[in-house]
Amino acid sequence: MELFLMTLTTGILVGGIYALVALGWVLIYKCSGVLNLAMGELTLIGAYVTYSFHAVGIPFIPAVLLTLLVGIVLGVLTERIFLDKLIGEPILAVIMVTVGLSFFLKGLIGYTWGSDTRVFTPPVFEIKPITLGMLRLSPVYLWSFVLAIVLLIAFVCFFKYTRWGLSMQATADDETAALSLGVSARFVYASAWAIAFMSAGVGGALLGNINGINISVGYLGLLVLPAVVLGGLNSVPGAIVGGILIGLLQNLSGTYLDQYFPGGVKEIVPFAFMAVFLLFKPYGLWGWERIERV
Amino acid sequence: MSSVWLPCGDYHWNYAQDQGWWQTKFIKGKMILLLAVVFIGIPLFLDDYWISVGTMVGYTAMGALGVQLLIGYAGLLTLGHAAFIAVGAYTSVMLILQFPWPQFMLDWGIAYPVSIILAGIVAGLWSVLFGLPSVKVKGFYLILTTMAAQFITVDFILTQYISQIGGRGQAFSLPPGTIKIGPWVIDTEKTTYYVMAVLLSLMIIVLANLLRSRAGRAWVAIRDNDIAAEALGINIIWYKLLAFFVAGFMAGVAGAFWVCNTAALSPEHFQWFLSLWLVGVILIGGVGSIQGAVFGSIFMVVVMELLQMAVLPIADFYPKVLMNFAYVKDMAFGLAICAFLIYEPNGLAYRWWQAKNYFNLWPFSY
Repeated sequence: MELFLMTLTTGILVGGIYALVALGWVLIYKCSGVLNLAMGELTLIGAYVTYSFHAVGIPFIPAVLLTLLVGIVLGVLTERIFLDKLIGEPILAVIMVTVGLSFFLKGLIGYTWGSDTRVFTPPVFEIKPITLGMLRLSPVYLWSFVLAIVLLIAFVCFFKYTRWGLSMQATADDETAALSLGVSARFVYASAWAIAFMSAGVGGALLGNINGINISVGYLGLLVLPAVVLGGLNSVPGAIVGGILIGLLQNLSGTYLDQYFPGGVKEIVPFAFMAVFLLFKPYGLWGWERIERV
Repeated sequence: MSSVWLPCGDYHWNYAQDQGWWQTKFIKGKMILLLAVVFIGIPLFLDDYWISVGTMVGYTAMGALGVQLLIGYAGLLTLGHAAFIAVGAYTSVMLILQFPWPQFMLDWGIAYPVSIILAGIVAGLWSVLFGLPSVKVKGFYLILTTMAAQFITVDFILTQYISQIGGRGQAFSLPPGTIKIGPWVIDTEKTTYYVMAVLLSLMIIVLANLLRSRAGRAWVAIRDNDIAAEALGINIIWYKLLAFFVAGFMAGVAGAFWVCNTAALSPEHFQWFLSLWLVGVILIGGVGSIQGAVFGSIFMVVVMELLQMAVLPIADFYPKVLMNFAYVKDMAFGLAICAFLIYEPNGLAYRWWQAKNYFNLWPFSY
């Protein structure tokens, strides 16, 4: 029972980080209809940039804030250089540009930081677990979850109440109508990419604190895709629920299935679950169902 | 095929001519010349290094043909093709190593050819299994299910289970001389190249013929508008799954071929990278054309080799470039895909087509 509860809480906590990265993904999709397969690399970049700032001696929180700034710059640059010219092109082209981008970024990261695992030194979070009743949680997860939730709420509020956020929603809903009302679509797309870089960056910084930073953090960023699909491609609450669901699924399968299928069952289960899930609910939990006509 | 410009005074008198492959004497001569270059010229005049580059081009093209069929002709986006190549390769290796072949089959060199065909069939069926969601989903959701195929097959089943069979650890190595087709032992660059050339030519012929049959027309209809296709009485479930089977079969054959090009087979050869690479190849070559897959393979493999050569002189005073060449390659590949999609979205095949038209219509191009 204790093991079960432990697994459950860890799952939910890790899921919070996935939800944060998933949110960035959904924002891009909602605003510009771009399916971003470079999410893993965005996460990696966030992790490495935070690490670099931290290694210079900047404390963790300012380092994360600086990472956010870098994320804005990189996001706007990416949008301007690569994605801007592809508005209105077929979906495959746009997806593949993000794939090309992911290769480019992966190469750049590997070239700059090498393939060794980097660990935050001194550790940002304490290693001694916090005891809550009969649960023992490592502070990394707890703080990550708290930070993730805070940022989630911040993003959601931004989306709902600020002028920018509203214009982004308007563009997502109907690009032409938004343009005729004076919303600058280019600005909206650029800010969507900036937000994606930022949320992936924070997610990466947190994930990097759990097991150290190497290329596999990028794989964790990829795990966000099943989360997004489970929630439905264009639903913000879906992204959050999907992220937590994937975190849970991963940890439960790691604990209970690993003895029957030794090896990397933890990494595979989200994808397998997603493939089966799509057979029954092709649009995820809350995705828009497209009614297609000839 | 109908886009071929016929010379003045040359007419089609029946549908068979209209559907013909080699419609004019010039095209026939050109293709025979091409075959001569591929089968005689390259192995005769190039050294072993460039022959091995040619083999890599062929292997890439074999994989890319399946992707081309799925993406370019049937409109089914896939990012997990390496999984099916891996299934083919492992089926072939397992058959050769573990199956109790009768001695005469080994002596006559039937074992490997049989394993190629079985590898194709197994990979095809595996591909159909992961193509099943395509019945209900499409677009991005389909990409994710094919990605699931990649991770489940290569990173889990092959790495954790199949690779452990026989206590070999990670890599399967074939004893020299095991791969034998008829009387020929496949052990040099040249023989491998010939196996590649024969298999690739066969695959191109099969695919080109499929595409001008009922199935090919159904695929194109599904790609262009699947609802309209269904309304026209095309059984889209059957044809989508058929596309997955054929693409998987080709991937399996490509994988079985890879066995004779490599000393030791390991799941490392079939990472997600390869799937993305193959999609990149057809994007660069041109989506929706068989030549596109071949052009893309030639371009990518040869450009990467040239890049490596170009890097060597830089490495003298800046050795980090060579040490991290894999990353440089990633960057170059990523930039190439982006640049092609942004500036040349129709791919190399389109340029080729334009060049051909220019010369066909020269000097009166209007």
